[in-house]
Amino acid sequence: MSLVTARGISKAFGGIDALVNLDLDVEAGEAVGIAGPNGAGKTTLFNCLLGLVEPDAGTVELDGRRIDRLPTWRRSRLGIGRTFQRLALFEGMTVAEHLLVAEQARRGGISFVRDLVERSEPRPSELERVDATLELLGLTDLADRPVEGLSLGHARLVELGRALMGPPRLLMLDEPSSGLDAAETARLAAILTDLRHRSGTAIVLVEHDLQLVEAVVDRLYVLDFGQLLAVGTVRDVLADERVRQAYLGTDR
Amino acid sequence: MTVEAAAAGTADTAPGTPVLEVDGLSAFYGHVRALFDVSFTVAPGASVALVGANGAGKSTVARVVTGLVPAGGGTVRIDGADVTGHPPWDIARRGVTHVTEGRSVFSSLTVEENLVLTFRAELGAAAVPAALERVFGTFPRLGERRGQSAGTLSGGEQRMLALARALGAPQRLLVVDELSFGLAPVIVEQVYAALDDVRADGCALLLIEQHVDRALRAADHVVVLRKGAVVAAGTPAELSASLDELVLGPGPAEAG
Amino acid sequence: MTELLSYAIPGIPFGCVFALMAIGLVLTYTTSGVFNLAFGAQAFVSGLAFVSLIADGWPRWAAAVLAIVVLGPAVGLALDRLLFRRVRTASPVVKLVPSLGLLIALPQLALIIAGSVPTIAPPALFLNAQHVYLHVDGVPVSGLELSIMLATAVVVAALLLLARLTPFGLRMRAVVESPRLVELSGINASRVGATAWVISSCFAGLAGVLLAPLYSQIDPQNYTVLLVWGIAAAVIARFESVPLALIGSLALGVGQQVLAGYLPPGVIASGLRPSLPFLVLLVFLPFGRRNRIEDPLAGCDPPPSTLVEDARRYRPASTLAVDGGRATQVVGVWHRALRAGSSESLAARALRRPTSVVAWTLAGLAVLSALTWVSADWLLTMTQGLAFGTVFVSLTLLTGMSGQISLCQAAFAGVGGFAAGQLATQMGWPVLVAGVAGGAAAALLGVIVALPTLRLAGLPLALATLAFALLADNVLFPVSWLGDGASGVRIPRPSVGPVRFTASRPFFLLALVLLAVSAGVVKRIGDGTTGRYLAAMRGSETAASSVGIDVHRLRIGVFAISAGIAGVGGALYGSLQGSLVPNDFNYQVSLVLLVVAAIVGLGSIGGAVVAGLVYTALQRAVATLPSRYAGLVAVLFGLATLSYTRHPEGIVDFLGGRFTELWGRLLAATRQAPRAGGAGVPGPGAEPEPAHGTVRP
Repeated sequence: MSLVTARGISKAFGGIDALVNLDLDVEAGEAVGIAGPNGAGKTTLFNCLLGLVEPDAGTVELDGRRIDRLPTWRRSRLGIGRTFQRLALFEGMTVAEHLLVAEQARRGGISFVRDLVERSEPRPSELERVDATLELLGLTDLADRPVEGLSLGHARLVELGRALMGPPRLLMLDEPSSGLDAAETARLAAILTDLRHRSGTAIVLVEHDLQLVEAVVDRLYVLDFGQLLAVGTVRDVLADERVRQAYLGTDR
Repeated sequence: MTVEAAAAGTADTAPGTPVLEVDGLSAFYGHVRALFDVSFTVAPGASVALVGANGAGKSTVARVVTGLVPAGGGTVRIDGADVTGHPPWDIARRGVTHVTEGRSVFSSLTVEENLVLTFRAELGAAAVPAALERVFGTFPRLGERRGQSAGTLSGGEQRMLALARALGAPQRLLVVDELSFGLAPVIVEQVYAALDDVRADGCALLLIEQHVDRALRAADHVVVLRKGAVVAAGTPAELSASLDELVLGPGPAEAG
Repeated sequence: MTELLSYAIPGIPFGCVFALMAIGLVLTYTTSGVFNLAFGAQAFVSGLAFVSLIADGWPRWAAAVLAIVVLGPAVGLALDRLLFRRVRTASPVVKLVPSLGLLIALPQLALIIAGSVPTIAPPALFLNAQHVYLHVDGVPVSGLELSIMLATAVVVAALLLLARLTPFGLRMRAVVESPRLVELSGINASRVGATAWVISSCFAGLAGVLLAPLYSQIDPQNYTVLLVWGIAAAVIARFESVPLALIGSLALGVGQQVLAGYLPPGVIASGLRPSLPFLVLLVFLPFGRRNRIEDPLAGCDPPPSTLVEDARRYRPASTLAVDGGRATQVVGVWHRALRAGSSESLAARALRRPTSVVAWTLAGLAVLSALTWVSADWLLTMTQGLAFGTVFVSLTLLTGMSGQISLCQAAFAGVGGFAAGQLATQMGWPVLVAGVAGGAAAALLGVIVALPTLRLAGLPLALATLAFALLADNVLFPVSWLGDGASGVRIPRPSVGPVRFTASRPFFLLALVLLAVSAGVVKRIGDGTTGRYLAAMRGSETAASSVGIDVHRLRIGVFAISAGIAGVGGALYGSLQGSLVPNDFNYQVSLVLLVVAAIVGLGSIGGAVVAGLVYTALQRAVATLPSRYAGLVAVLFGLATLSYTRHPEGIVDFLGGRFTELWGRLLAATRQAPRAGGAGVPGPGAEPEPAHGTVRP
């Protein structure tokens, strides 16, 4: 059974169709890429899956369970992590705190009372998982730095780390390489492939950098004007005539 | 550094005067020194690429040139006139256009209003319709959405609009930061084609590009920055072999 | 029909004046991003000048020109240059506080300069105010009404033409979003902004002059009311549409007069008319601009750059300290480094230790003094300070830690106090129990405020809470079972068994304990898991919900706890005074509370305690100084507002940070001295890498 089954997702903003009757399937442990020209509806799809935007129509199932009526935080706790194309970090918090807050939020609830009664220090197990993720991303040395002082590359890794806590069964990455240089992008690709081998996390990757896409994903969806243009292995899809026309230009 | 260009300087500047001359530039962000003694020139009609790793100071150079960030030392000359410390609007009126990194459009204005605002200020009211036609010819997608507010455009379309604002009113120097950021490959090619047209009209280019290979194809001169300082300058042919090492520094590459 | 008209027509002039105010608010908000609440004060200044000049024998036209066209823009431009220009890209709190501070300080300053309030009846701008020029369906229209309508019609038409026929309109809208991006298009953004300021200041000035003759005497109070109606109309206009602002204002002006005409007399009904703006705000705020438009160029600044600067400017309680020549960022008090052993956290702690030692020593000395030699009236002031400190602690939790701006904290305190008083005197509950119950009542109210405002943030949230404060003033406080109108409610001092807190020193200790408990609650929340959730919510609600935080529940919870603490503070204050009247906690108190909290320091509990003491010391100064010096307090207040734009972290955190920084430099200097071993360097972790590099100021 698929991990994620989205059926008939449609969304229009002010009369402009962002998504039209779109289906998406992601198997457990699979890495799926989503590509398409600008304005094809890629980010909107993420927002619909996580509930940040309410689709006009369509259903979303996670592990066979309908989640499209749940609030964002519930979906997140069911195991969906995401990063943002425009960074959305928590000002004033350190790198390690970003990971810790996500770990605690996904695993526990809000309890003012517990804070008052038992000070609620982070548990050793929580700190261990934070440390492990920092290690994985190569952020250990920056753990106690406030995020304000980080480079864009590191900031994107902090977002990735925050999305990885919990840990998620589905990881949605929105243009994680934009603003990164070649070396940083290569490291990101290594981290993502490593992650899949270790934990079997399913990945949905929205990305323009085709090298990164080729390195990471198994299947590629290409969207155009909110509709599915092609789906298949990266090689097949990139060979597709319509895809070349709409997205790549012909000289590649 | 002398880059001979196809187009001559304007009548009121001495021939051979670079359109942009950056001399001994330094810059600070708070306590952090971002630039160390950066010097280079852009000849009229030339195309210069600034390359370097993230945090090398490429965007800072662009921002100091167009007045967004104050220079901590050194001078910036446009067509021979010292504009160090001048406000951005004054530098823009001298014919320097800056497409900043990221989403640089007015979200609350429509696509057309975004364009009209810039064109009217830079070209005068009479030239606006022609400039609009030209831009919608280059980016038909924007023409389709001319009445839509820019905030409802996708990230890539906003990027397109930001470029269109600059391409419609090119004058002496066009500074483009992170040109291909968030653009689909086919659009990137369109943009480079449009840049060629702009150059043909005699406008010089200062390009900051994440994809170094693509930038090298479009530039006739390259300036390499590392950690806020110029480490090399030359033609793409001279530099392409050693570029990786120049950008990343000797020894094992440190990312970030 | 005639009856309806006879109520509606007198409403139109009010609507016109509201419209001028609303359009001024919309214009400055769209061009500078500042919702300039100080327009209420600017309108008063112009109105006062107009009437004073005429009282001095100036001709009407000359007084009008000076008040509207000269004084209005002059004050507006001065404020823009000195204050608002600096806060354009700042966070909502930092934008709001200076305008609130001026709203409070400016009328006082103007009254000092004017010397006295002119006793003449304010005249109309032109025409004979009393003369009836025409009849509409039998309803007379006076010169006063006619002059207001004509003047408004002319200036609004002129504005719309200006926006339509010149590039100015488009440029104004562009400047709103990003002055820097506008400048890159070759347009002088500050000139566009300044033009908008001049125009809107003229509008505010005209509103002030036109409003004056609608009342028998000129009074700052009326101008705050005018401002509130203007805000309601600006909200109807979704903060952006000038025509909608005009239509909304007229509807409000007519509506309030018609309501007043038809409603039966009574407490609820008489409260309904002044709370009309509240209802409007609550209904229309959710339709406001949902997406906060950010300066696109602010978002793309390179990470290693302005972020440090931003941190210094906008984040409460953050300090760049220098340790051994190495810059260490000491993160806000709520955020301790997780790894206690890391060199970073140890260095930060070692750096901060002397600062906290000094702070605690000062606090201890103050308590000792209060218990030994301090005179009775100063002891009263200090105890009041502790009671208000409790209220300020509640603001630290809600606004400082959670980023939710509250302009109704006094209403929470008032409800807590009144409920406690009623329970103690009417039901005979023990006073301490009644005080806790008052806190619970306030907490319930906090939930009631939080629920309809869950989707609001920043300025809209601030305005919604302001509206709630107005509703509390007009509807909750006057009812007999709560605030009981002007007569107020008695609250005795408590006693527990044999221990009686009636004497002033025991009561001081009680207040100290209650403040400590409140502060402890807030500190524990801040330090714990929930504190991290709150910081995440303050950073980005979208990202917070994306990592699994139930942001709505968190907001309701934090509103409840904050309101509860404020309620206990209100009860404590009432018990200290013996009784409470509604004016102790009216909406203007709410405004002052936020301004004082922000100026002194929202980022830390120490800041809240100092804010409480400062607030009561200021009140005492106003009450005891001879009246001609009372204005000095207003001057001080204005100056503090000025300094706030430079140090939004607040005075307490600024001084603390400075002290820490100096200490760090001192350490660095001793470390660099040739004496090896670093004699006199205390604390663990004070042995980071050897010092290199220079320290830049």
